[in-house]
Amino acid sequence: MEKDTVLEVKDLNVSFYTNQRCNNVLRGISFSLRKGKTLCVVGESGCGKSVTASSVMQLLPELSRIEGGSITYRYRDEEVRIDKLGKNSSQMRALRGEEIAMIFQDPMTALNPVFTVGYQISEMLRAHMRISEKEAMARSVELLKDMGVPLPEQRVHEYPHQFSGGMRQRAMIAMAMACKPKILIADEPTTALDVTIQAQIFDLMLELKEKNDMAILLITHDMGVVAEMADDVAVMYMGNIVESGTAEEVLGSPRHPYTKALLASIPVLGRGHNQDLQPIKGSTPDPFDRPHGCQFEPRCGFSCPECSLAMPEEVIVSGTHMVRCCRCKEVV
Amino acid sequence: MVNFIIRKVLLLIPMMLVISFLIYAGIELMPGDAVDFLLPPDALATMNPQELEILREELGLNDPFLIRFFNWLVGILHGDFGYSIQSGVPVSTLLANTLPATLELSVAALFISTLFGTLLGVVSALKKGSIGDNILTVAGMIGVAIPQFLFGLIMIIVFVFNLGWLPVGGRMTPGHEAFFQRLDHLILPAVVLGLSMTAGVMRYSRASMLDSLGKDFIKTARSKGLPEWRVNLLHGLRVALSPVVVLIGFRLPMLIGGAVVIEQVFQWPGVGQMFVAAVRTQNTPVIMMVAFFSVLIVLIASILIDIVTALLDPRVKLS
Amino acid sequence: MNSKSLNRKMDELQRKEKAGLLETSNRSRTLRKLTSNKLALIGAFLFIVMVFLSVFAFLFTQYDPNAIDLRNRLSPPSREHILGTDQIGRDVWARILYGGRISIFIGVGSALGSALIGVSLGTYAGYRGGWLDSVIMKISEVMISFPQIILVSLLVTIVGQSLWNLFFIFILTGWPSMYRMARSQMLSIREEEYIQALKAFGIPRYVIAFKHMLPNAIGPTFVNITLSTAMFILQEASLSFLGLGVPLEQATWGNILNIAQDLTILRSAWWTWLPVGIVITVFVLAINFMGDGLRDAADPTQVG
Repeated sequence: MEKDTVLEVKDLNVSFYTNQRCNNVLRGISFSLRKGKTLCVVGESGCGKSVTASSVMQLLPELSRIEGGSITYRYRDEEVRIDKLGKNSSQMRALRGEEIAMIFQDPMTALNPVFTVGYQISEMLRAHMRISEKEAMARSVELLKDMGVPLPEQRVHEYPHQFSGGMRQRAMIAMAMACKPKILIADEPTTALDVTIQAQIFDLMLELKEKNDMAILLITHDMGVVAEMADDVAVMYMGNIVESGTAEEVLGSPRHPYTKALLASIPVLGRGHNQDLQPIKGSTPDPFDRPHGCQFEPRCGFSCPECSLAMPEEVIVSGTHMVRCCRCKEVV
Repeated sequence: MVNFIIRKVLLLIPMMLVISFLIYAGIELMPGDAVDFLLPPDALATMNPQELEILREELGLNDPFLIRFFNWLVGILHGDFGYSIQSGVPVSTLLANTLPATLELSVAALFISTLFGTLLGVVSALKKGSIGDNILTVAGMIGVAIPQFLFGLIMIIVFVFNLGWLPVGGRMTPGHEAFFQRLDHLILPAVVLGLSMTAGVMRYSRASMLDSLGKDFIKTARSKGLPEWRVNLLHGLRVALSPVVVLIGFRLPMLIGGAVVIEQVFQWPGVGQMFVAAVRTQNTPVIMMVAFFSVLIVLIASILIDIVTALLDPRVKLS
Repeated sequence: MNSKSLNRKMDELQRKEKAGLLETSNRSRTLRKLTSNKLALIGAFLFIVMVFLSVFAFLFTQYDPNAIDLRNRLSPPSREHILGTDQIGRDVWARILYGGRISIFIGVGSALGSALIGVSLGTYAGYRGGWLDSVIMKISEVMISFPQIILVSLLVTIVGQSLWNLFFIFILTGWPSMYRMARSQMLSIREEEYIQALKAFGIPRYVIAFKHMLPNAIGPTFVNITLSTAMFILQEASLSFLGLGVPLEQATWGNILNIAQDLTILRSAWWTWLPVGIVITVFVLAINFMGDGLRDAADPTQVG
């Protein structure tokens, strides 16, 4: 593990066993999260982004499990294998919240409706620190204030349904930041919010990242967000990371047809309405009826006979830029 | 909160008006002469037809229907519930004698079914798929399917006749009338009456708990590093509870209805037993007043349930 | 489930998946879930068997259910009388078979009748809203405040005790819950956009309500019909046990049980009441199994 890496995932395989079927949701993904940097995992819905986030926290649903690979976290200069820890073991619980915190897509449902916001924040504090209820409440007020929630003394006693969507997500972030974690996992944190609120939340996250030297694992489907937030990017498709590298490498010179297609399908502000937008043809395959080789092959404009034989190996094209495509040299 | 309660109680009044109107219409439709319901039978027996006709006029029995209804209603508000045709005893006295027994039985059954139903349902949900869960699920299904009185009869055979642990029927043994000395009489009927509700509450709280455990905020709670008991019992159970309370409220009429049958099986001297006897003998005033009070109790209980729900779930608006 | 057995189950699934044994099925998801639900199948099987036995009762017994045989009173099960005889010498097995006809008819018939009234009112009034809806809603509120057994006994005393009266009283007291179910379904479907579109096309209200909305509520309706059937069967049994249901001369499951009010017979002649008690329980259980199966099959959020 490199010295500035806080989290390293290697060859992770995860399967879901719902409906009496076995679905290989993650098919050997590897990435590393650098200290104080933002890694964006981007892809369509159903590609396994959220499962990746849940795996890191050992929060996979009941009928699923990690089949292979490793998840390593650097904990006070020691390397902890998260995948080896029991799902709800005390070591895992010590990591959750204190070292790695998480915020979710829908702040509407992610906060418990029957407890006050203040209670839910101080619960986080009291799970990891020996402080009194009163101190925890006072800390909660401070946290809400830091997150830009107006009238925190009053709002700390309110229930989630009395908060607006954006405020709720701020409360969620306040909760996640309570113990100053080293990693913040954000699973599509703004999907349920207005665009203007979206920008505010991202600004807040960037500010917190700078202040606390915290790494962010940001799950998103929005290439615009990636361009704005990412230091590193990992593009996922059907359970594989098909391309990864620094934001400059991946967004500046995409080498995978899927990344290229994604970038070509986004309108750019200010270019007027004569933009040549190209939607990706076809739709994602049935996870139970996958292509044999490269998962993107049926939808790919560059496909060749070789593509349908096997999933291409990882190729380092330059620096940290990794691609899984056998024709990556031709895709420029 | 106070406003909320006051408004609920005020809403009760038109409802009870409609119901008493229906009940009075029922009395009018019943076979028999209205004078019979209004006078003590002893007094009635000594009268000749002319006196009776004068009395009719005095009592307003020849007035239009709506006025008669109004007079009847005023009587009820003054505690004049009419007289039992059978015994000539005022219905108010009869009710005063039997209501405590029925309330005792119903409250005990409600307590048993709420406590055990919720407890077993939650345990079942937390241990989903285990042997214990499967046994409880099957037991719950049978508990809902078996006729209550049949279960009562089987319990009598087992615990009274075969094992001899408990007394057969009645509310107390003469000379042992303190509450704790009566418990052995209460336990069988209360358990039997509570059975189908226990089974229903158990199945429902299991489903509600599973539903709650599948929600996003459970994942949030886990992501905070909280211990499992806190995740399940504090975050999961607290949210799962309010639908269960609503269900219990919804089932209350069934509990009161069940009491009618169970009192018969166990010879419990309550309103239900009196009601069955009244129906068999077409004792209209008794039937009607029992119906009136059963609805009143159900409606009052539903207000209590609303209050509990509002206390449990901050999203329920009180205004 | 403990993690070990869960892991084993997952290994098994993984092995099958790799071997390509789990083919994608072309059958409808609902049907597949229904047929893979063993309890629902058992329930349906028991239901059919019991209905068959009752309808073709004459094939399974040579006795008349009402034939009194005073020489053979309370005789225990024997070769001639497989479930013995009751206190006036009637064959218990024959009475259970023929009694099933009436009990099942009352249960299923009243449930269907209540559904017919409740669902049609609920569909139309729920969609239309306004005064019609609030009036019917108030009526149903009043009816639901009565404990069912008290309301039924009340009506029985007014109209008198007979099979048909009980049937109609059950329908009269049963429709409000159906109405509320259908109404709440309609209220949520009403907000869907395709309904707005239909309105914009100028399609008549009743066509929208019955042709375009009702089919979406058919799942919950069937579940409710099974629940009501079970409830009416149990209610007939309770009422007849109290002597307030179907007149005692007619054999019904509840009337057979009426004998158990006598404590001596309860202790000494189990065959007169226990078998029919088991029959009622099993029948209600079978209906509930079917109802649960239907509910799970109709609920898209449930995964197996």
